[in-house]
Amino acid sequence: MAIGGTMLGKLGEKLRKSIKKLAKMPIVDEKVVKEVIKDLQRALIQADVNVKLVFKLSKSIEKRALKEEPPKGITPKEHVIKIVYEELTKLLGKKSYKLKIDKKPYKILFVGLQGSGKTTTVAKLAHYLRLKGYNSAVVCTDTWRTAAYDQLKQLTEEINVPMYGDPNEDNPIRLAKEGLNKFKNYDVILFDTAGRHKNEKELLDEMEMLSKEINPDEIILVIDGTIGQQAKSQAKAFSERVKIGSIIVTKLDGSAKGGGALSAVSEVGAPIKFIGTGEKIDDLEEFDPARFMSRLLGMGDIKSLIEKF
Amino acid sequence: SGIFSFIKEKTISEDDIEDVLWELQLELLEGDVALEVAEKITESVKKELVGKKVKRSTDIDKYTRNALKNAILEILKTDSNVEDLLKIKKKPFVILFVGVNGTGKTTTIAKLAKYFMEKGLVPVIAAADTFRAGAIEQITKHGEKLGVKVIKHKKGSDPAAVAYDAVNHAKSKNKDVVLIDTAGRMQTNMNLMEEMAKIKRVVNPDFIIFVGDALTGNDAVEQAKMFDEKIGIDGVILTKADADTRGGAAISISYVIGKPILFLGIGQNYDDLIEFKPEWVVKQLFT
Ligand SMILES: Nc1nc2c(ncn2[C@@H]2O[C@H](COP(=O)(O)OP(=O)(O)OP(=O)(O)O)[C@@H](O)[C@H]2O)c(=O)[nH]1
Ligand SMILES: Nc1nc2c(ncn2[C@@H]2O[C@H](COP(=O)(O)OP(=O)(O)OP(=O)(O)O)[C@@H](O)[C@H]2O)c(=O)[nH]1
Ligand SMILES: [Mg+2]
Ligand SMILES: [Mg+2]
Repeated sequence: MAIGGTMLGKLGEKLRKSIKKLAKMPIVDEKVVKEVIKDLQRALIQADVNVKLVFKLSKSIEKRALKEEPPKGITPKEHVIKIVYEELTKLLGKKSYKLKIDKKPYKILFVGLQGSGKTTTVAKLAHYLRLKGYNSAVVCTDTWRTAAYDQLKQLTEEINVPMYGDPNEDNPIRLAKEGLNKFKNYDVILFDTAGRHKNEKELLDEMEMLSKEINPDEIILVIDGTIGQQAKSQAKAFSERVKIGSIIVTKLDGSAKGGGALSAVSEVGAPIKFIGTGEKIDDLEEFDPARFMSRLLGMGDIKSLIEKF
Repeated sequence: SGIFSFIKEKTISEDDIEDVLWELQLELLEGDVALEVAEKITESVKKELVGKKVKRSTDIDKYTRNALKNAILEILKTDSNVEDLLKIKKKPFVILFVGVNGTGKTTTIAKLAKYFMEKGLVPVIAAADTFRAGAIEQITKHGEKLGVKVIKHKKGSDPAAVAYDAVNHAKSKNKDVVLIDTAGRMQTNMNLMEEMAKIKRVVNPDFIIFVGDALTGNDAVEQAKMFDEKIGIDGVILTKADADTRGGAAISISYVIGKPILFLGIGQNYDDLIEFKPEWVVKQLFT
């Protein structure tokens, strides 16, 4: 399903109206800017962006909108939207949104909360990489979740990607070691792990040990698109233990806006590279920041506006 | 009130409570209460308090805080307890589990199977998630560990038929409870919501439990609303409450659909299920 275009929230509607008011103005009016900022705050909070982050962001937007002179040929309305866009872009980070396979084997470790979509996304990414010409293999190190092995096995069989795991083994480190050895001639090795959260110290220890054993080239944090304010502190707990290299946001085929992922990005300083838009193997899209912002703000027209600048 | 009451009393004005209400609203938002719900709750507290006469010595901030806490308890309060709600009123008592992807439906069913067994009842499970990879194996293994029969068909088969078979199995074997596991689905996916409606028509469940993830933000409102509208919800279980959650999702869901929250999932083991108490939310939110 296309994101951004179809599910325009009521708040987006409101934000759009307040921004429209700016359209008729010859100069940027303080009262109207304040109104825009207020609607922007509400839109972002409803999109699940961290509350403190929203206030920090809106403060700098307000300051710039009132202080900076709009460049020639740009209306006050476009000027404010441009500032909003720039500030959000800053939040999304300057690092590349593209996945780069620059080593062989390129080892990717997937981590995240319970049920966030790791296993499904491992299979989706293996499929994606194959379409790009890389042969990849998958290792199951999840010894916790019931039938985690069967799930990954069925998913990888469907796409003909080799998978290593052992439902009778209860030591994830051993599984990782064996998988590394088995697949060292592949272009990419993807490691699935059990779900865990910030209060599960032993599981976080386990993740850290797995990371040391595998020595991954990239660690991907998989974030559920429906997560709320907890995104920030959970992401922090993961990044305190391992170095998160990128983020994948799942379940964006529903009505959630995915603002939790933005909080995670700002917390760990890693870019979003893909989004999950369904349960099927090809429901994985490369991250498009402009579309993501349209979704966050509930406004479908951000992209066309930005193209003017 | 007597002639001199103005000496002992004061009237609460909007100005008196504006700041503290804003602070409280932020606390609700940071605790994952959905925006619309947080705004409506603080608005109702404001309405209740403005113009009210209180003792002159009253600490208005504290007074407002308490009013908000009470408003929250009021939203979460239910007349009936879990014991009564899940009492086996007929045999078999059929419970259908619904929710979006990955919230913890399957794990929660295993926990509830144990809950019923501890009451001396015999459950049977329907593996009616015929869609997700490994779903049938997952629930089958739970059944094996718990010693509970799992009725299953092939992957990809009709989930309504599996559920129907499980109910018939319970009838013929004189079992007490049927627990129907279903595939997670986005509430916006109309085809899958229609499929769920069909499962419901076929088995005519006695109780429908919405399993929600306690980490959900604003979308909790949309999820609960749609599942209640399209399928109907009798009770709610919130999972992953052990992940340091504030409980805002409980408030959002209760506020929107007014259905009782039965349990909290607090871990991945079968015993990690506790009865929900409204006070838990207040404690999580304001400490
Ligand atoms: N609608 C939708 N569902 C998704 C998406 N990604 C994953 N899912 C579903 O989310 C649920 C959980 O996915 P899993 O891949 O099992 O999640 P996990 O993180 O591996 O879970 P654990 O291993 O238990 O921690 C499954 O029902 C998936 O089909 C997505 O982008 N959209
Ligand atoms: N920490 C914690 N994890 C939980 C809890 N409940 C479930 N989980 C975990 O969450 C993940 C998903 O649980 P499932 O029971 O497979 O979820 P589901 O709703 O059946 O998922 P789908 O069928 O794919 O939609 C698993 O890793 C569970 O162990 C809980 O209360 N606390
Ligand atoms: Mg998994
Ligand atoms: Mg399930």
